[in-house]
Amino acid sequence: MFKKILIANRGEIAVRILRACRELGIQTVSVYSEVDRTSLHVRLADEAYLIGPAASRESYLRIDKLMDVAKKSGCDALHPGYGFLAENPALPRACADAGIKFIGPSAEAMEAMGSKTAGKQLARRANVPTVPGTSDPIENPDEAQALAQNMGYPVLLKAIAGGGGKGMRVVPNDAAFSSAWRDAASEALNAFGDQRVFLEKYLVGPRHIEIQILADAHGRCVSLGERECSVQRRHQKVVEEAPSPVVTPELRRKMGDAAARLGRAGGYVNAGTVEFLVDANLDFYFLEVNTRLQVEHPVTEQVTGLDLVKLQIAIAADHRLPFAWETITPRGHAMEVRLYAEDPDNNFFPSPGKIISRHAPTGPGIRLDEGVYEGWTVPMDYDPLLSKLIAWGNSREETIARLRRALDEYTIMGIRTNVSLFRRILSEPEFLRGEIHTTWLDEVLSRPRPPVEPPRPGTEEAALIAAALWHSAQSNASAAGGAEPQAAPSRWKMEGRRQQMDHMP
Amino acid sequence: MKFEIQLTSARGKRKHIVELVREDGVSSVALDGQSVEANATQIAPNVVSVMLGSQSFELHIARSADGTLKLRCGPHEFSAEIVDPRAWRGRKHGAVEAEGRQEILAPMPGKVIRVLAAVGDAVEAGQGLLVVEAMKMQNEIRSPKSGKVERLLVKEGQNVNAGEVLAWVE
Repeated sequence: MFKKILIANRGEIAVRILRACRELGIQTVSVYSEVDRTSLHVRLADEAYLIGPAASRESYLRIDKLMDVAKKSGCDALHPGYGFLAENPALPRACADAGIKFIGPSAEAMEAMGSKTAGKQLARRANVPTVPGTSDPIENPDEAQALAQNMGYPVLLKAIAGGGGKGMRVVPNDAAFSSAWRDAASEALNAFGDQRVFLEKYLVGPRHIEIQILADAHGRCVSLGERECSVQRRHQKVVEEAPSPVVTPELRRKMGDAAARLGRAGGYVNAGTVEFLVDANLDFYFLEVNTRLQVEHPVTEQVTGLDLVKLQIAIAADHRLPFAWETITPRGHAMEVRLYAEDPDNNFFPSPGKIISRHAPTGPGIRLDEGVYEGWTVPMDYDPLLSKLIAWGNSREETIARLRRALDEYTIMGIRTNVSLFRRILSEPEFLRGEIHTTWLDEVLSRPRPPVEPPRPGTEEAALIAAALWHSAQSNASAAGGAEPQAAPSRWKMEGRRQQMDHMP
Repeated sequence: MKFEIQLTSARGKRKHIVELVREDGVSSVALDGQSVEANATQIAPNVVSVMLGSQSFELHIARSADGTLKLRCGPHEFSAEIVDPRAWRGRKHGAVEAEGRQEILAPMPGKVIRVLAAVGDAVEAGQGLLVVEAMKMQNEIRSPKSGKVERLLVKEGQNVNAGEVLAWVE
């Protein structure tokens, strides 16, 4: 087993990996940018090294600096987390050159499966169903339009190098084709420096269901079941759950077999995710492979009882997966919401700043994976993901009830968060029935907002009293020398004294 | 001690008079002239527990950049503007110029990219004091009153948090 692992990431995922290492008795090394000196992943690490200024391209994306830290600190393995360099084949190559084990797939497997077109070609070879369309980029717009007419509208234009919905256009009919082509190509050029796009049939109202796979270096590749990630805002996942409300044991087996077949065909080793679109007939189509640990991996952990990060480390250390895992079935139900520092009342604008106070939910079936704490300033330089709140229950209903209870307990003051978005999603009747698809949330958000349930009687009065007490305590504290307001033993005593003062001439 | 508080909730804005009273160790409160059986205690710097009769409420409180209080009770949010007879940074008077010494607060987290006035400068109401850049947008922070710049607490290039004091105008 490894002695010391370099965690090439920040935020909640760096903390998540750190915890797994600690449980395994492995030393941890964090890296940080100038604005992350006080971040949780630095505070909790055994060792931490400054690798540059706030901008990621000068710090978290610098492979040379990561390699320097790895050598200097004597690390024998590196975990990339997700995002940043996690799917860049240059990182496993640099690790191999430096004699450091990369906890993830090989550079070759990343290249063979990671890009959308290469993944699709591999899927076809492995007999995994794909959405009808081209797998190669099309250079000529006229040729592309002829193909679209042949395929039937609507069609989808996608950037070869795409991700996160950029360089993607739905074309509803022939008349809209040429302008959509132009937009997609120029957006792709701006976002990825590569203007090539390809074409596929657009499925109306599909679900996004993905299979978690795990493959060891000894030829075994198993499926750990599905995650339903259909609740998305502009192609970004917002709520994830396992199992999916529509996947039957038979469909789970079929999708799992297809995903594992794909993993074997690509020579995949370590944890990966095969994403599928599932239509109303429960036919599934390969979408893409994510060659890394996913943000939403905790829902799979909660229903399988496995620790994916520890398994990733074990696989990287050449351990074998046990045979019994061919038959893993989910137990109970898990659901995750992604809490972001963003303002749902102001078009989901990022809301960085200082966390003045924070109360985290606890209790049965609740797990909180986060990288924040009270008094910490959320930097404006990175993805504003604060925490992932995950609930587990015996049924989907119990899980939703726990998640709603935990959201009510979770209080962060000082910055805006998207908590209210989840309260809304978790009370939508369609969501409760599991009738969701990839554009469902965008449709919900375009509807007028339903009235919020009124607070119980007395809440406003309590708020008034609390405001008055807190305000007078603050004034007292600043009058006493501007110290931080403390929970003094008796504000009421001080209030009495003040009243006497008020009566003085 | 009497406070005039304008409370904004989902139902709208309303003004109330809150009087905190202490009699023989029993904390009690009058709301809009009506005595209520209540007991309140600050259990953490930003948390107040309120017992209204036997009903228990927990309120999380923070001052926002514009000086109002933000309160949260479970999923419910309120904002409160307090008119304290002693406060020199009281309510906003609309178009009327502010009086007394004014603290200039950063309205958002960002970076001070320009300082437009120096300590001791005479400034007019509405005159720019600083420029703060946040998320690629530049915002001029103006003086709420005519007077003199008493203190400047930030430098060009410095990062600031929302609600941080940038300057005092006397």
